Amino acid sequence: MLNFFHNSYIFFLIEKLINFINSIFFVLLLIALSFALIFSPPDYLQGESVRIMYVHVPAAWISLTSFSCIAIVSILNFIFKIKNLKLITKSIAPIGLMFTCIAIVTGSIWGQPTWGTFWAWDARITSMVIMALFYLIIIVIHKFFDEDDKANKISSIVAVIGLINIPIIKYSVEWWSTLHQPASIKITGSSTIHSSMLTPLLLMFFVLILYCALIFLMKYKTEIIKIKKKNLKRYDQ
Amino acid sequence: MISNFITMNGYGIFVWSSFVITFLVCGVVYYKTRKTLKKYEKEFAKEIGELSIQQKKTVLRNSKIASKILASYNKTI
Repeated sequence: MLNFFHNSYIFFLIEKLINFINSIFFVLLLIALSFALIFSPPDYLQGESVRIMYVHVPAAWISLTSFSCIAIVSILNFIFKIKNLKLITKSIAPIGLMFTCIAIVTGSIWGQPTWGTFWAWDARITSMVIMALFYLIIIVIHKFFDEDDKANKISSIVAVIGLINIPIIKYSVEWWSTLHQPASIKITGSSTIHSSMLTPLLLMFFVLILYCALIFLMKYKTEIIKIKKKNLKRYDQ
Repeated sequence: MISNFITMNGYGIFVWSSFVITFLVCGVVYYKTRKTLKKYEKEFAKEIGELSIQQKKTVLRNSKIASKILASYNKTI
């Protein structure tokens, strides 16, 4: 069991996973895109514009999940002080920021045909922008602080503060009167989306999750190499 | 049929721009991440190459990861 947490085993696993995801990714992407753009029906009210949902919703889910992961990992890092956890938060943050921006931009594009405007300072959109700012702060801290420990400590505090924003994003459509529609898919309770639309949505989500895993693994591998490179300097002296 | 698929009943510009932006950003981030990884692999291999034979042997014996990085870099060149 301990072998599982060993750095060399993790590195070996990363290599295998990157190769595996690379080998299946494009086939799955083609299947998901076919469902999203061809096989899924138009909405009775929104027409073909509903297809934007297949990139907007998975991007929003990923951005929320990534931030929750960063916050949980930061809390665990405070308690257990495991070295690898720092690398995880550092690797996830850019992915989270990217998908938050994608969710905001595609949401804005979707807003024009459905609401008649690209932008509104409504509760859901504003709270998403705030989350993007939290991601940005975490990335900037890691980039500009020379001391790794100090950077990790400050970014962890920022992540934990940012965690307060997650339930605000989730329930903003229920707490305030907003332009954004309430959730159609519920983990508890019945969903209000037809299976002909749910299938492409879950497929696109799965493909984008695979993409995130791929980027995360490459970033994580880069961080390990950076550490090993620093260690090499000992032999030079 | 193809023109219907492209115009999407007037919503084409919104749908296609959303998909293009998403996958363009994903592609650029993938390319940049991969490039950075390869750059560090290359630099690491170069620094190992600059060590003396004895130091190199010690590094590769003590660190499984170092030998794996070197192997994965050698595979790509």
